[in-house]
Amino acid sequence: MVQAFLRYAGAMLTRILHVLLALAAVAGFLFSAVSTSDFTAHLDRQVHGIHCSFVPGADTPDVSGSSGCHATLMSPYSSVMRDTVWGGIPVSLPSMAVFAYLLVCALAILVLRKPDDPRATGYQWLAWTLPFLTSCVFGYLSLHELDAACKLCIGIYTASTVGFLLAGVTFFAARVAASSRITLGDDLDDLGSAETALDERVVDARTARALPEAETQLERSEIAADQTIDETSKADIELDEPPRRKVRLATASEMDRRIRSVNAGNRRRREESPTSAPDAPTGFGVLALAFVAGLAFVIVPVVAYAAQAPDFERFVGACGTLAHPEDEGHVLVPLGSQTREVTMLEVLDPLCPSCRGFERRFSQHPAAEQVSRRVLLFPLDAECNRMLTTSLHPGACAISEAVLCAEEDADEVLAWAFDHQEEIREAETASAGAARRMASERFPSLRSCIGSANVRAELNRSLRWAVANQLPVLTPQVYVNETRICDEDTDLGLDYVLTRLTSRAGGAR
Amino acid sequence: MKPAAMVVAGLLVLAGLLTPTILASRWQGAAATRLERAEAEVEDRPAVAVASMTNAEYCTQELRTILRRVLTSCGLIGGGGRGCQPVEARSVATMSGDDFNALFLPMRERGGIVQFAQGEALLEQSDLELVDRVFADRQLASYFFVVSRASPEGNVDTNRDLSRQRAEAVMEHLRSEFHDPELDRQVGLLWLGEEFAQLDPSFCEWSRSDGEGACDPNTLNRSAFIAWIDCEL
Repeated sequence: MVQAFLRYAGAMLTRILHVLLALAAVAGFLFSAVSTSDFTAHLDRQVHGIHCSFVPGADTPDVSGSSGCHATLMSPYSSVMRDTVWGGIPVSLPSMAVFAYLLVCALAILVLRKPDDPRATGYQWLAWTLPFLTSCVFGYLSLHELDAACKLCIGIYTASTVGFLLAGVTFFAARVAASSRITLGDDLDDLGSAETALDERVVDARTARALPEAETQLERSEIAADQTIDETSKADIELDEPPRRKVRLATASEMDRRIRSVNAGNRRRREESPTSAPDAPTGFGVLALAFVAGLAFVIVPVVAYAAQAPDFERFVGACGTLAHPEDEGHVLVPLGSQTREVTMLEVLDPLCPSCRGFERRFSQHPAAEQVSRRVLLFPLDAECNRMLTTSLHPGACAISEAVLCAEEDADEVLAWAFDHQEEIREAETASAGAARRMASERFPSLRSCIGSANVRAELNRSLRWAVANQLPVLTPQVYVNETRICDEDTDLGLDYVLTRLTSRAGGAR
Repeated sequence: MKPAAMVVAGLLVLAGLLTPTILASRWQGAAATRLERAEAEVEDRPAVAVASMTNAEYCTQELRTILRRVLTSCGLIGGGGRGCQPVEARSVATMSGDDFNALFLPMRERGGIVQFAQGEALLEQSDLELVDRVFADRQLASYFFVVSRASPEGNVDTNRDLSRQRAEAVMEHLRSEFHDPELDRQVGLLWLGEEFAQLDPSFCEWSRSDGEGACDPNTLNRSAFIAWIDCEL
C-alpha cells in the first residue's frame, strides 16, 4: 500500500516538474520576445522606447535611453552579423527559439508519457544547459563590460537558471522512478510466472483422466439438481407460491475463462494508471531526431530574419558631406593614431549621454583600430554656445575647455567626463562654475588653462567650424572621410555603415 | 507510443518552430511599413536646426546696411586694405557722429573701452585683461570692432596717427595672443582721431580698463572702443 502510494507520488512529482519546466520556458520565451520586439522596432530607423521590466511588456517603454535595457540593446553584444545585416540578428531571437523548443520538449514529454524516462529527461536537462550557460556568459558581459542591469535580460537569466535546475531535478526524479519501476517490474514478472504455472497445472489436471469423469459426474449431479429445482418450482406454482430461483454452478472451464478475463482487465487498468510501468526508454534515434529539431528551431527563424532584413544600403552616405573640412584653426582634437588612411570625425559634447553611448560602442568596434579619429567639440551648453537658448548639458563648455587644454591627453579627460556625466551636469545645475572646479580638481595641471581667454577662444573656433560646415545642432555626429553617417545609423546600424564607408574609402584610394 | 500522442507532439513541434519565425517576421514587416510611411512624410518633419552665427535683436536692417558699408570699406568684406580712416568712416556711415555712436549702444554688454595714457598707444596689464575678456566672450558673434580715438588736445594729424596706433596695438595683441587664422576677416579697425564720433560721457558706464578711475570726455576718448557685433551679414 505504502509502496504504491510512493510510486504514485513520484510519478506525480515528475509531471508537476514538467509543468514547472514548461512555465520557465514560457517566461524565458516572453522575456526574449519582448526584447526581440524592441530590437526589431528600430528597423524603421526611428527612435523608440524600450521595455525594461521584470514583467515582460507590462511597463511603459523607456524613451530616455538611460535604462540598462537600452544600454544592453544598443551594445555590440545584443546582436550578431552586424556587418552584413543592418543592426545584426538579435541574440534574443535564437533565445526565443530555444525557449520555444524547451517548452515543446516539456509538453512533448508529457504528451508522450515519458516524464519518468531518464533518457528523455536527461536530454531535456542537456538542452537547458544551453540557455543556462549562455545566460552566465551574457550576465557577465552585462555586469562587467556594459555595467548595465537589464531587467529583461535578468528575466531571461532567471528563467534559464530556474529551468536548468528544474530539469536537473526532473532528471534525477526520473532516474529514481525508473529504478523503483525495475523492482516493481520484477515483482510483476514473478506474479506472471506464478499465474502461468497455475494455468499449466490446471491444464495438466484437466488432461488427467480423473478430471473428465469427475466433471461428467458433476454435470450429471447438476442436471439432477436442475430437475429437482424444476419439480420444486412446479410444486410451488401449484401451491400458488413464487418459483424459487434457479441456481446453476459454473463448470471449471467457465471459471478459468472468468479468471482470465479478470486478469486481462487488471492488466489494462495497470497500464492506464499514472504509476503504470512505462514503454521502453526513448531510443537514441528519437533523441537524435529531437536534436535535429532543436537545430531547426534556431536556424529557421534566424535564416528567415536574415532573409527578410531590410536593405539600408541606400542610406549609406546619404546624409551629406562636410562643406569645409579643412582645419586651419586646428580645432579638431586628435584621438589616438593619426597615421591611418581613413579619417573619422566625431562631433561631440563631452556631457552628452548619446555621445558616451556612441563612444563605448565604437571603442569595441574593429574599425576603431582602422581609422584616424578626430573630435570636434560641440558643447550643447548655452554658456558658450549661443545657438541654444537653454543649456541641454550644463557644464559642457567647461569640460570642453578641459579637453582642449589637455591636448595629447584629451582622451583621458573625455573618458573621465563620460564616466561622470550625470554628476557634472547636476553639480553645474546646482552651482554655476562647478564643472570647471571639478575638472580643475581632477586635472590640477589644467587648472590655469581651463576658463582662460585662450581656450575659450579656441572653443569658440570649434563652434565656428561647425557654423562654416553648416552642421546640425545635435550630437553626436560622425563623418567618415568627410561623409556623414546618418544619425539613425550611429547605434544599431553603426557596424553596417562603418564597414561600407571604410571599404568605400579604402577602395577609392 | 500511441499515434494520437505522436500527432499531438508533432503539432507542438510545428507550432514551436513557427511561432518565433512568424512573430519576428511580423515585427520586421511592421518596421518596414513604418519606415515607408516615414520616408513618405519626410517633408513634414521639422527641420533640424543648423549651426549659425548669432543674430541679435538689435541687428536691424538699417544697422546691417551701415555695417556692410563700413566692413566693405574697411576691408573685412571682399578683401582689400585693413582698417578705415576717419574720413572713410564718416563717408561710408553717412551719418553724424552721435548717430554713429548710437549704433553701438546695444552692445554694451558685449564690449568695453580700453583707455590709454595721453599721447600713448601702449596696452597696459589692465588693458590686456579687458581686451582678452571681451574677445574671449565672442559667443557666436560675426565681427569684432576696434574703434580708436584720441582726445582733441593735440593736432588733428597727430591724433589721427595716434588713434591708428591704438587700434593696431589692440589688433597686434589679438594676433599674438589668439592665433586665430580668421582674425583678419573678423576684426574691423576704425581709427577716428579727434575728427569723428567722439564718445560722450554716457559711455563712462561701459566696462573700462581704467576701472573706477576718472571719466571725463578727454580720458574717455583716449581709447579704443572694442565690441563684438552679433549680426550676421
